Amino acid sequence: MEEKIITKENLIKLSTDLVNEGFNVIAPSEKGYTLLQTDPLLSLSDSQPLPKSPFKGYLFPKTEPLFYYKKGQHDYEFVDVNLQNVKNIFLAAKPCDAASVNILSKVFNWDYKDEFFDIRADNSLVISMACSTSDEYCFCTSVGLSPVSTKGADLFMIPLAGDKYAIRIVTDKGKSFAEKYSKYFSDGNSVESEKVLAGIKAPEQSFDTAKVKDWLDKNFESEFWNGIAATCLACGQCAFSCPVCHCFDIVDEDYSYKEGRRMKNWDACQFGLFTEHASGHNPRDNQAKRYRQRISHKFKYYKDKFDEVLCTGCGRCTRGCPVSIDIKEIVTEINNLN
Amino acid sequence: MSEQKFEPHIIAFVCNWCTYTGADLAGTSRLKYQPNVKLIKLPCTGRIDPVMIIKAFEKGADGVLVSGCHPGDCHYNAGNFHARRRWIMFHQLMDYIGIDSSRLHFSWVSASEGRKFVDVVNGFTDKVRAKGPFVKYQELNKEYAINE
Amino acid sequence: MNNLSQIISELLTGGKVTKVIGYVKSGSRSKPFISSKAEDAGKFIMDETCVNNLAVYLTKDEIMKQGKVAVVAKGCDIRAIVALIQENQIKRDDVYIIGVNCQGVKENFDSNVLAAKCTPCKVKTPAVYDVLIEMEKPKSEPSKENKKEEIEKISAMTDAERFEFFEKEFEKCIKCYACRQACPLCYCEQCIADKSVPRWIESSATKRGNMAWNIIRAFHLSGRCIGCNECERVCPQDIPLSLLNKKMSMVAFDEFGYEAGMDMDAPTLTGNYDIKDKEDFIQ
Repeated sequence: MEEKIITKENLIKLSTDLVNEGFNVIAPSEKGYTLLQTDPLLSLSDSQPLPKSPFKGYLFPKTEPLFYYKKGQHDYEFVDVNLQNVKNIFLAAKPCDAASVNILSKVFNWDYKDEFFDIRADNSLVISMACSTSDEYCFCTSVGLSPVSTKGADLFMIPLAGDKYAIRIVTDKGKSFAEKYSKYFSDGNSVESEKVLAGIKAPEQSFDTAKVKDWLDKNFESEFWNGIAATCLACGQCAFSCPVCHCFDIVDEDYSYKEGRRMKNWDACQFGLFTEHASGHNPRDNQAKRYRQRISHKFKYYKDKFDEVLCTGCGRCTRGCPVSIDIKEIVTEINNLN
Repeated sequence: MSEQKFEPHIIAFVCNWCTYTGADLAGTSRLKYQPNVKLIKLPCTGRIDPVMIIKAFEKGADGVLVSGCHPGDCHYNAGNFHARRRWIMFHQLMDYIGIDSSRLHFSWVSASEGRKFVDVVNGFTDKVRAKGPFVKYQELNKEYAINE
Repeated sequence: MNNLSQIISELLTGGKVTKVIGYVKSGSRSKPFISSKAEDAGKFIMDETCVNNLAVYLTKDEIMKQGKVAVVAKGCDIRAIVALIQENQIKRDDVYIIGVNCQGVKENFDSNVLAAKCTPCKVKTPAVYDVLIEMEKPKSEPSKENKKEEIEKISAMTDAERFEFFEKEFEKCIKCYACRQACPLCYCEQCIADKSVPRWIESSATKRGNMAWNIIRAFHLSGRCIGCNECERVCPQDIPLSLLNKKMSMVAFDEFGYEAGMDMDAPTLTGNYDIKDKEDFIQ
C-alpha cells in the first residue's frame, strides 16, 4: 500500500482548508463524532477513546425527510429533498466505525437503492486511524476486524513518533484526495509504521463467527433462548449506538394543514412494538424472542444475504446498556455450545 | 398599501356543560367578542391532558385558553378539581421551560356567564395580540419545512 | 455477602418467593439478575456499583406472573415500590423487600465519585422492608454536585434563556425512549407517545417532536417522580433530565407538601384533589 507522511501541523492546516472549502470535517471527541467547525476545541489525540456514538448519523440520520407534500385544490404536489451539498470527511475514525460504511451500503443497495444513504456515502471520504484504545468491551477481532483494519477506509492513518502520521492509501477515492492535497504530504516508507502497528494491542478473539452461524442455523427453537436477556428494558440504546444497526420507521407528519413531509426515523428491533401488526398480533411479544432476533440478524441473516457480519465489535451496545447485557458474552456462550 | 396587522390565533379548550353553554349564551344575547378564538368542546376540563395544549401551540396557536365550570359546579362532580391540580403543576412546568405561560390562560365561566365569557376572550385576545405571534414555538416547526 | 446469599437461599428453597431480583458482578460494574434457582444465591452482591432501580421489573407481567418476588432495593428503589403500591400497580404482599442500608452508589463507572442523588438522600436507611442488609462500604467519595442549586440557577434565568437552554438540550434527543423504559413509574401499557391515532407526540427526533416528548414525560411524572435518576443515567445523549424531573418534585413539595413514595397509605398527588387547592392563577 502506498504510504505518505503528514505532520500534525499540516494535518491541522489541511483540516482548516477543508472546512473553508465547505466540507463537513468530522472527527471523534468525547461527545461523539462532531463537526470540526462547530467544535474548535477538537484536538486530534492518538489516544482518543471510542466516541460514545458512531458516525452513522451523518450517513443515515436519526430523522430525515424523504419528501415533502403540498395539498393543492384537487391533488397533492410532491417536492424532493435537496441533498446535493453534503460532503463529509471523517477524520481519524476508529476502524470499527470505518468498517460500518461498507456493511451498511449492502443493505441500502439491496432491492432498492437508497439514494439518501448513497448520495451521502458517495460524497464522504473515510480516513481512519489505527486504534490503541481497545478495552474489555471491544471484540473487533472476533468479527473479522482489528484495531488496524483498513476495511471501509479510503485512507488509513498511523500515528508516528514526533507528531506525525503515516497515511496509507487504500482506495482510488483516497488516492485522488492525496493527489489533490499533495502539498501537505511527503513520501513515506512503511518501516516505522509497521513497527507501530505491530505494537498495537488487539483484543483477544472470543468467538468464531463461522461456528456461531453454524449453531444459529440449526437452533432457532433451542432452550438456550429461554429467559435470555430477561433484564432487558427494551430501551433501544444498543440499536441506536450501533454503527451498523439500520432499522427504520417511516411516518408522515404535517407542518401545517396544507403541507407535510414523510420522515424516516431510527427504529430498534428491541422495542416492544417493533413487530406489532395492525391486527394487534405481535409475533415477537417477549424480550427473549426479540433478543434472539438481534443475535440472529447480526450473525446469521445478514451473512446469508450479504456475506457480512452485521457487527464491528465496537462494544458500544454493552458499554451503554443500562443493565449491562453483554453481546460478546452471549455469543461466546453460543460459540462454546457448538 | 396597508400592512397586514397581526391577528392572533387563540384556541380555547372549554367544557361542554358550563363554558361552552356560556359562550352559546353570549351568542344568543348578541354580545360581540373578537373572532380570533376557536372553541374546542370537551365533556369536562378534567379530560384535558396538557399534551393537547402543547399540540395547540405546535400547530400555530399564539394563545391557549382553558375554561370550565366553577369549583363545586362540575357536571361530573370533581372533574374540574382534578384539572385545577394538574394546571397548577403544568403552568409551573411551562414557566420553567421558558414557554411564556402568559400565553396560557385558565378561567371558570359558568353557563349563565355570557358576559364573563366575552370579557375573558376579549381580554386574552388583546393580551396575546400585544405579545405578538408565538414565534419561539412555531420556529421549532421550521426545521424540516419545504426548502423552495 | 454471606448475609445476602443466605437470605436469598432461604427464600428460594423455602418457596417463600418464586424468584429473586438482585445484582451480580459484571466486570468492573454490576448488573441486574433474576433467578429462581437457590444455587444462584451466592452470585448476588450489593455494593457501590449497584445503581439500577430494580423496581422497574415489578410492573412487568413476564416477571410477576409466577407469584411473589423478592427484590433487593435501596432507599430510592423502595420509594419507587411504595409509589407503585400507592398507585395500585402492585400489592405490598406481591413483593418481599430486601432493603439495603445504603451508603451511596456510582452512576459514572469511570469516576470515583458517588451519584449526585446520594448526597442529599434522606432514605439511606429505608422505612419499609421485610429484611435489612448492609452493603459493602463505598470506596468512592460523595459528590459535591448540588442539583437544587442548579435548578434554582436555571429558574433565575430569563424566559428566553431558559427556552434556549432546554431547546438545545432536547435537540440532542434521539427518541430512544430509554428514559421511559428505565423509569419504574412509566408503566403505562400503551404510552401516549406510541399512540398513532391521533398522533399526540411525534416519533421523529425533530426539535418539535423532542420538545413535546420531554415536556409531556416531565408532566406525567410530576408529583410521581421519586428521584432515582435512572432516566438521566441511561440517556445515551446525556440530556440532564434530572433538571426537569427534580424541579417538578420540588414544585409538588412547595405547593402541596407532597413527596411521592414516602407513605404507602398516602393518596397520590395528581390522582386526588383538595377543594381548597389554590386558584389564584385562574380568572
